[in-house]
Amino acid sequence: MKDSVAQPRKHRSVARRKLFNNSFSVICLLVSSLAIVVLATLLVAIFSTGGNWLSFEMLAGSHRENNPEESGIGQAILGSLVICSICGLVALPIGVGTAIFLEEFKPKGRLLRIFHGLVQLNINNLAGVPSIVYGILGLTAFVYMFGAFSPIRVNDQPDHEIGATYFYQTKTLGGQYVRFPAVPLIQPVIKIKQGRNASKINGDKFKLNVVSASTEKSKYANQVNETVLLGTEAKLSSRNGNQVYEAKTIGGDSFDFPAEATYSQFAKIIEPITVSNSDGDTFSLNVLSKSEPIPTDPTILAQSVFADSPDPNKRSSASIFRENSLFHLHLPFSKSVLSAALTLALVILPIVIIASQEAIRGVPQTLREAAFGMGATRWQVVRSAVLPSATPGIMTGAILAMSRAIGEAAPLLAVMGGVLGTTNHLSSLMDKTPVLPVTIFKWAGDENQGFEHLAAAAIIVLLAFLLLMNSLAIFIRYRYEKKLS
Amino acid sequence: MSNTSAGQGELLGDAVSPRGKLRPRSSAASKRWQTVVVTGLVFCALVSVFTTIGIILMLVVESWGFFSDDKIEIWKFLTGTKWTVGQTQGELSYGIWPLLSGTLRITGIAMMLALPMGLVSAIYLSEYASKRTRSLLKPTLEILAGIPTVVLGFFAVKFITPYMLEPLGDFKTFNATSAGIAVGILCIPLVASLAEDALRAVPNRLREGAYGLGANRLEVTLKVVVPAALSGIISAFLLALARAIGETMVVALAAGSTPTLTLDPRMPSQTMTGFIVETFKSESVVPGTLSYFSIYAVAAVLFLSTFGITLVGQIIRMKYREVYD
Amino acid sequence: MIRTILNLVIFTSLFALAAGCGSPKTSENSSTKTTPGLDYGDNSSLSGNITIEGSSTVEPISNRAKEKFNGSFPNVNISVSGQGTGNGFKALGAKECDVSDASRPIKQKELEVCKSTGINFYEIPVAYDGLTIVVNKENDFVDELTVEQLKQIFREDTAAKTWKDVNDAWPDKQISIYAPGIASGTHDYFVEVIGKKDGKGLRADEQTMLSEDDKALVTGVKGDKFAIGFFGFSYYDANKDELKAVSIVNPISTKSVAPSMASIESGEYAPFSRPLFIYVNAESYQRAEVKEFVDYYLQNIVEIVKDASYVPLPADIYESAKARIMKDLPGSHYLDAEGNKREGSVTEVYTEANLPK
Repeated sequence: MKDSVAQPRKHRSVARRKLFNNSFSVICLLVSSLAIVVLATLLVAIFSTGGNWLSFEMLAGSHRENNPEESGIGQAILGSLVICSICGLVALPIGVGTAIFLEEFKPKGRLLRIFHGLVQLNINNLAGVPSIVYGILGLTAFVYMFGAFSPIRVNDQPDHEIGATYFYQTKTLGGQYVRFPAVPLIQPVIKIKQGRNASKINGDKFKLNVVSASTEKSKYANQVNETVLLGTEAKLSSRNGNQVYEAKTIGGDSFDFPAEATYSQFAKIIEPITVSNSDGDTFSLNVLSKSEPIPTDPTILAQSVFADSPDPNKRSSASIFRENSLFHLHLPFSKSVLSAALTLALVILPIVIIASQEAIRGVPQTLREAAFGMGATRWQVVRSAVLPSATPGIMTGAILAMSRAIGEAAPLLAVMGGVLGTTNHLSSLMDKTPVLPVTIFKWAGDENQGFEHLAAAAIIVLLAFLLLMNSLAIFIRYRYEKKLS
Repeated sequence: MSNTSAGQGELLGDAVSPRGKLRPRSSAASKRWQTVVVTGLVFCALVSVFTTIGIILMLVVESWGFFSDDKIEIWKFLTGTKWTVGQTQGELSYGIWPLLSGTLRITGIAMMLALPMGLVSAIYLSEYASKRTRSLLKPTLEILAGIPTVVLGFFAVKFITPYMLEPLGDFKTFNATSAGIAVGILCIPLVASLAEDALRAVPNRLREGAYGLGANRLEVTLKVVVPAALSGIISAFLLALARAIGETMVVALAAGSTPTLTLDPRMPSQTMTGFIVETFKSESVVPGTLSYFSIYAVAAVLFLSTFGITLVGQIIRMKYREVYD
Repeated sequence: MIRTILNLVIFTSLFALAAGCGSPKTSENSSTKTTPGLDYGDNSSLSGNITIEGSSTVEPISNRAKEKFNGSFPNVNISVSGQGTGNGFKALGAKECDVSDASRPIKQKELEVCKSTGINFYEIPVAYDGLTIVVNKENDFVDELTVEQLKQIFREDTAAKTWKDVNDAWPDKQISIYAPGIASGTHDYFVEVIGKKDGKGLRADEQTMLSEDDKALVTGVKGDKFAIGFFGFSYYDANKDELKAVSIVNPISTKSVAPSMASIESGEYAPFSRPLFIYVNAESYQRAEVKEFVDYYLQNIVEIVKDASYVPLPADIYESAKARIMKDLPGSHYLDAEGNKREGSVTEVYTEANLPK
């Protein structure tokens, strides 16, 4: 009796179960193929929008405002390559080093093991931090450097700088510009523009406070003897054999501070001096006094200036400008390629560490034991046994981290701003440069239809780069896997 | 390992240096060198520690600047429903909830898309797929994973909004749905690969046992494999959630810059990340102003949420992982 | 693995081919025509850096000046950014830029900041602009608006929710607002017209999108049928085919006037005709490259301004500006000794008598 009742039920439930099984199979297939459909739609959409706008002119040119037909991504490509290379140079050694430390040098002491565990946990969490937070960190740490250095201002040289040469340039009567090198001098008189460390006559050191003429007296009443008005002149003199600038505070006390050779913003041309012009010719500048008549010969005119003149358009004051060498650096870094590269290095560091750790873990233990057996120290084991076999995995991880770096826009937007095109090409690490992802971002937000197509074309270039890098990673993995086995 | 000749030299302590990787050295010198190297490695490890400390310190110090201002009360920040920092010069409203609502709305839409699709793809890849379909699906997911977020943002604002959403009517130019869909597309590969790893880690004995009892494939998957891999799957969900919360470029392009507190997915919705980017774009951030500090306060909330979720995901994965041997 | 790579390559080339059969590249907006300025010959010798920050409304003008100037002086590195008039003045006062673009005159507070850091500037008017109110192209019910209606729509106290609230005949749909943000001079100017006297500002609620980036505003209005927004005339002109400009009823003549180069120049388009300025750091002007640039700017200003779709000012204003620089007379004409703003047209205010002593 029970059987006859149970059987039809079993039949039904078997059939139902089979139905569910088959339909689930189909659903799975459909849903998974949806992923392929999505990717295909994405690629088709981008290629159809941007395909026609891809050309050699576009690859080489730079951004032109309001002129999409003549804009290009040449500068952006160069910028991306430079920033990613520097980023890789910084992140890879540190990342691989950390991975080696975490995998090969596991400490025995309890305290150190806690440290070790914390570092590991920390890295896994850092990988999940939004990239914009890294951007803010980069802004605070690299661009502003926690406010430790005074910010760069126009019409002033940075306080700490190397690798820059200064020139003065002036316009001759013929309308051409000539230049001559600038020499830092200890000026006889300078105007005090900002606070600094100074000493009183009795040797006490204090921080000089600078206020403007319009500030209310009450604001500095309690430090009248340490305050001075903006623009007060300080005269050169010497104390104890050193050259110092001397001035008086508002309260009447004298103080001084060490004299440094600086570049003055302007140089007055009083006597003939050797200059060079845009063609590279050097000649001695012909300095006329205001009582002399103006020459008529254009060649002489091109090499002459007035010594002095009441007309400000005829004065021969040369103003300073800076030429950066390749190694130009200043503190604080402010918005520059270097800050961007360092910030990006922080972003990909966790990825490099995790990938390297996996590669190192993949090395069979027998290899290590063999090296130990030959009497190698731990580091020697790592260097000669572990690293060579982990290298393909590490390289793959490095390339994947690099492809992540090339596509990152948010931290670069924060650290360098939305730079689209610079007049001069990249000449030093302190310059700002456009990069591919930020350029795409700004063009995507532009209402001009042409820029929409350009953005799509730039995306194609970016995807091509990524394809290249991923193929390289696959190729390395394939080749080395064969070699090792 | 190609250094047998050098190895000999090392063992014999030869002064002559053979060609090879290991230079002959006394073992004392080797030990000294090792200490140097280890110190170097420790410094490398410290970089990541300092990064975290740097982030936390910076957020705490600057948010303190925000909260210590007379006009700001922390209670209003946490519970207020209007956010007008950087939008009016008059009375500032600084309730975080509109930004949180934007983040939650977009993350919600994204998860509704990514979790099912990712999980189903993972199940398909690990339990059902033939080698041929696998070789098509896996690279697709890897490519999707590698697509930069600006590309998806571009796709969202130029294609999803005008072609997919406009015909459905009444969607604003900048809305939460298209951003949510794009973020979801971003997260599918993440969920799929992590869930697949978890599913594959389940040993075959369990499956075979179930098959032996007469279960069909669906039942084996849903009743045996998935529960066994549950901790890994949940951890995958949480990691994808953290990724979606922290997504910046897609929302900056597609979601608009108006903070709204609503459930309507057709409205523009500025998220926490969107606010930070918008402030960077429009303000030459002057240190010391209230807008400057507000960036840090919002970033602190953002960091706490993503860090917290990632941490919970880690703990779940480690604690509830069933170890099969 | 090789197969994977091959698959990828095949897919990609297929898509590229598919894309190649798409529509050919058509020249959309006819862009800057380079009008020759004064011929300086080869002057690659002039070097240096110039930083220009400020109004996004004036940004197109400064960008055109930059491109023309770089045609003759290719080695001068000029960077132009448009993050808002307010931010431009902040940068000027903090010595972070040489020239500040502004779509409104400097305010007293900003002047104080400049004074405290020892900055002197030359105030130079460069063009007329007509602040243009725009609606979506498919908006068929709004052709003209009065200032009263604008107040209803835009002010924070009245803040009309739907179009019907403003005019019964209009649809009962929510108004979407796209307006410049608080750092923008355009924002300040608009608020002055519609609310400053009553102490009311621009609304900032959930229906309003504020952005200092005028391009985002254009995109917003384009895509939303019930949207309304405002920005400088140049941005409307560049997108004429996709936006609809609203005629404003001139409060004095009670005629409704559409914005155009002619109506802005004649002053008929009121009350939204306004002058645009650049403020040049006087100390920066002493540098050879800045001097050359500013002189070039003023020399060619009529072509530059017209290229950017703004309206040039009367020639004697430009002569006065040049005279200020020649005679080294810094300061603002728009603020009197007590710090109050002077009202009036450019020709009335921009006289030497109005400079601070």
